[in-house]
Amino acid sequence: MPLGRRSAIGVTTLGLLVLAWFMATGANGLISPGRFPTPADTWAAGLQAMGRGYGDATLVVHVLQSLKLVALGFVVSVVVGVPLGLLMGTSATAEAVLNPVFMLLRPIPPLAWIPLAILWFGLGDTAKIMVIFFAAFVPSVINTQAGVRTIERPLIEAARMLGTPHGRFIREVVVPGAAPMIFTGLRLSLQASWTTLVAAELVGALAGLGHLLNLAQQDLYPGMILVGMICVAIFGALTTALLGLVERRTLTWVRIKGETA
Amino acid sequence: MSSIRFDAVSKSFGAGQVKALDDVDLAIADKEFLAIVGPSGCGKTTCLRLAAGFEFPTSGRVLVGNAEVREPGPDRAVVFQQFALFPWKTVVENIELGLRNRNMPREERRIRVMEAVELIGLNGYEGAYPHQLSGGMQQRVAIARAYVLDPQVLLMDEPFGALDAQTRVVMQEELVRLARRNPRTVLFITHGVEEAVYLADRVAIMTRRPGRLKEIVDVKSIREAEGWERYSRIEDVMDLESFVHLRTHIWRSLREEKTGAAH
Ligand SMILES: Nc1ncnc2c1ncn2[C@@H]1O[C@H](COP(=O)(O)OP(=O)(O)OP(=O)(O)O)[C@@H](O)[C@H]1O
Ligand SMILES: [Mg+2]
Repeated sequence: MPLGRRSAIGVTTLGLLVLAWFMATGANGLISPGRFPTPADTWAAGLQAMGRGYGDATLVVHVLQSLKLVALGFVVSVVVGVPLGLLMGTSATAEAVLNPVFMLLRPIPPLAWIPLAILWFGLGDTAKIMVIFFAAFVPSVINTQAGVRTIERPLIEAARMLGTPHGRFIREVVVPGAAPMIFTGLRLSLQASWTTLVAAELVGALAGLGHLLNLAQQDLYPGMILVGMICVAIFGALTTALLGLVERRTLTWVRIKGETA
Repeated sequence: MSSIRFDAVSKSFGAGQVKALDDVDLAIADKEFLAIVGPSGCGKTTCLRLAAGFEFPTSGRVLVGNAEVREPGPDRAVVFQQFALFPWKTVVENIELGLRNRNMPREERRIRVMEAVELIGLNGYEGAYPHQLSGGMQQRVAIARAYVLDPQVLLMDEPFGALDAQTRVVMQEELVRLARRNPRTVLFITHGVEEAVYLADRVAIMTRRPGRLKEIVDVKSIREAEGWERYSRIEDVMDLESFVHLRTHIWRSLREEKTGAAH
């Protein structure tokens, strides 16, 4: 489907959703404003958050705080996760050593790290980054490792036959060969970064979108709750789109392959 | 120097259920061009992979230049049956990787790669990715990637299989010119009997699986005695009675294998 047509359909769907929201929460609507805010309430809450602020800070500050932590947590996860995945994908020894650790760590829900994180680092940024890290580095590792496995054996043999030194082999054969899966891992890591960050901020934070959501819940302020949720949705989508852009820029050859396949 | 020797080589895959090669003894002299023909699945590729160092014999030894083969290396360039080009590298990047690995200076590299691109007739496609090329074009890139290494030993697995008839003839004649100008040891696998007779000094015929050597046909002595070298075009050589005679002989031998008449 052409891009123009797709985005037209997308915009229409969103428009219909907003329309349904108006109708459902309107005068004769099905949902009472005490349970779900009207568009007007939400708009007012948004203006309040942006102007006077809410929870000791303006909306911009909350958003920037969350964005900063997501970015930091994501980058740390990727910088640790991808090389670890490459190592486990290329070395049977590394895989044998690290796999048991993974088996042990994986069943622990990321949020179960929050108490320990707060105990160690308090309510500040470091604790959040640690929690994000535990959630977000796993998909990077696993998908990178799986990506390495998808590289066809003849390509590895060709590289060896051509006398490719190890460093170049990793950079020019393993990484590009695993790249499509690596990006899948990055996307999942980014999603995990957002979900765990908001959850971590819900439990204990001094600023950020999760903090705002938590306060709004305590204040029984549905409009503000929705403002927080909408912000998470928008900025989550924006960062995902940014990652998609980087992916398309990086993997030109995959697009070419897709077009001709 | 760069001879290849199979010393009582057997090769089984899995837990020994699939026996691919059975007691193969074969010596390819330095700078000799040997072609292997045989029914599909008889172990031709396996022979080549053993010489390349991708596989190791279950029993017996494979020697290249008097040393047992332990690992792959650019002294034994391989043209893979399935091309094995890097999809994320352009034509030029694919061809030049081996030269970069050798730390050849950029300018010298550029000249060599351009010569190779010229040779395979892919001018104008230097920046193309493999998936933008036809199968035949990809195969030519794989050939160029091996040629630029200027290796002592060239291992080619049906290197002209994906080419159309015209391009194949061009590449065959080019290979003959190349081999004459700068002789090297070539192990050449093919399904084409005529190709084998036209190119090779000797043609080894293999039996059905488990592959054994059935017969080795000496082409070189006949080529020299009958003066095939006087003809530069493949079709002129193919018309010669001596050529037809050899070809038919190998055909018969192969046919017995395919129908199993020999068993
Ligand atoms: N890695 C492997 N694992 C298991 N069996 C294998 C493996 N490689 C080859 N074989 C088997 O060994 C036999 C010989 O295979 P090989 O690829 O050498 O045949 P070939 O003569 O090159 O065939 P073709 O002409 O079709 O290319 C086949 O029966 C094949 O199934
Ligand atoms: Mg084969």
